Amino acid sequence: MVMKNPKLAQGTRRKLVPLQVLVPIVSTVIALGIGLLIIAATGASVVEAIEAFWDGMAGSDFNIGASINRAISLALVGLGFIFASRANLTNVGGEGQIAMGGMFATAAALHGAGGLPLGLAFIVPLAVGTVAGAVWGGLAGFLKAARGTNEVISTLLLSFIALPLVYWSVESFHLLRKPISDVSSLPESAEIPDSTKLPLLFPDNGSPLHIGLLIAAIAVVVVWLVLKHSTLGLRLRAVGLNATASRRAGMRTSFYVILAMTVSGGLGGLGGAIMILGQQLYLTSDFSSGYGFDGLVVGLLSRGSAVGVVIGALLFGFLRSGSINMEISAHVPSAVVLICQGLIVIVIAGSAILTNRKVTR
Amino acid sequence: MIDEQMAVFIGSGLRLAVPIIFAATGEMLSERAGVLNLSLDGMMLMSAFTAALASWATGSPLIGVAAGVLVATAVAAAQAVLSVTLRANQLVVGIGFNILALGSTTFLYREIFGPLSRDPIPGFAQLNLPWLAHIPVIGPALANQTGLAYVSILMVVVTWLILKYTSFGLAVRAVGEDPRAADKAGISVARTRYLGVLYAGILAGLGGAFMSVADSNTFTENMTKGAGYLAITAVIFGGWNPWYTLAACLLFGFATALQFLVPALQLDVPVALLLLLPYLLALVAIAGFVGKSRQPSALTIPFERGG
Repeated sequence: MVMKNPKLAQGTRRKLVPLQVLVPIVSTVIALGIGLLIIAATGASVVEAIEAFWDGMAGSDFNIGASINRAISLALVGLGFIFASRANLTNVGGEGQIAMGGMFATAAALHGAGGLPLGLAFIVPLAVGTVAGAVWGGLAGFLKAARGTNEVISTLLLSFIALPLVYWSVESFHLLRKPISDVSSLPESAEIPDSTKLPLLFPDNGSPLHIGLLIAAIAVVVVWLVLKHSTLGLRLRAVGLNATASRRAGMRTSFYVILAMTVSGGLGGLGGAIMILGQQLYLTSDFSSGYGFDGLVVGLLSRGSAVGVVIGALLFGFLRSGSINMEISAHVPSAVVLICQGLIVIVIAGSAILTNRKVTR
Repeated sequence: MIDEQMAVFIGSGLRLAVPIIFAATGEMLSERAGVLNLSLDGMMLMSAFTAALASWATGSPLIGVAAGVLVATAVAAAQAVLSVTLRANQLVVGIGFNILALGSTTFLYREIFGPLSRDPIPGFAQLNLPWLAHIPVIGPALANQTGLAYVSILMVVVTWLILKYTSFGLAVRAVGEDPRAADKAGISVARTRYLGVLYAGILAGLGGAFMSVADSNTFTENMTKGAGYLAITAVIFGGWNPWYTLAACLLFGFATALQFLVPALQLDVPVALLLLLPYLLALVAIAGFVGKSRQPSALTIPFERGG
């Protein structure tokens, strides 16, 4: 870490603050522009593709609600990412944390939670899913603290371990797979009981928007308060900036590393639980597909700001809805959105030299 | 009966290990120079697709491999610009390239081949070396491999020789351990690291091309399935040593091949659990062993001259 003159460094950074906002916006616009060029290059009608895209994003109350529902889970994963990155930890295992959260929430909803009174029917599965994600993230934190295992590698590997576990659970009749009937024999769980489904916010107008929105809003405020206005946030930052100095100052750095990863994973697990209880309503082996990386990109784009996470999550929630519809009605492969996302990540990481003179890591 | 299944198991274990051996060997050299390429999986996927496409278009698997290596090297060059010159976070850049590779190969595959194409593409034939086949039990498995499989072992030897006996190898080690001292001694840190990353790209390209042109004679969406991450883990598990890294790759190959052996032996173990076995093994390996072997001191840390 090169910090020759702290005053000078501070001065430069203050001057460059607008760039930190500008870079994500410019790179997103450029990436979307390239996406449009690719669509045009395939010979598909760009107008038709954009129309299908817009229709899927926001064409009706239903589509708007579905897009926001997608954004909720992405926001939670993104919040988890910025929470860990406050302690200079990079949690790239959102996919696995979503998967574990969704799987355990399904198990709780199917086995016992349905009969609980007073809204506990869905609160208990949400809590169980959160804990499952927290354990999965905390495991990476523990390995980092105890063994020095790089959390990027361990969270990735934990994702590759979680996905077959979900596959196993929906494939085995003694676990979560529904009994074979004459109608269906697919490897998936039974639908969760009605009482465990998240209540809808506007049940009258057909919008699928559910109370996950309120849960995510609370999470945004709490994470923002903790990171910006609490001793805990300050300590996480200190541990991330200089673990040795923090240890000498009397902080238990291992505790904060494990805590940061546990909270980060818990937010991902909550995101997975909300996906099952709010939208999917039954567990399939690939229900988490792509959400982990989307949430990671959201976290990266936000540059550590909770408000940035909200904007990024909405952007990607709407993009995902749009791209799905574009594939169905305009026959443009939705993978074009992946291309845009990859470009955004690369450009933002590459421009870190502009926005941050400090050598990272 | 059991013997036959063991031969099939050993053969498929070796085949599954080959792409990881290629990628891990190149990555090991790059990491010794201080650059971690999380984009390894993306390089392999891009190469697998390009090799399949070029082989299908020209009818020559050799041209396929060359095209695959070229594209993987281009990705590596981009990764090198970002990691070395722009001093970006190497891990984040790597993930970006992996998303880009998954998106672009899936997109192009659907555009060019259509969603349902399963036509085999021209690939390499197995060599069937008679003098190897006579070895009991493992002989047939060793002999029935494509030429590229033997090249992977050759590359391990070459990489070991480069690191140990050439001035470039010495520069790589110096740059990875103490870039400032290396710089003062007149070694160009940037040039050495660029070459290291490009070397990783070439080998990852060979590994990816092996998957589509030599192993399965087809391309499927996301066909690497995280093989690049396994290769990176093998490097850590192997303690940045070419021979131990080779051993780790073989271990991962055989762990993956168990998912074919266990059902064939009619053992009652869920296939899903066998799918996660290589990754679990990798996690246990890096958590358990990384403390013992020291990683290159400057790994993932960008170097700025005159600081």
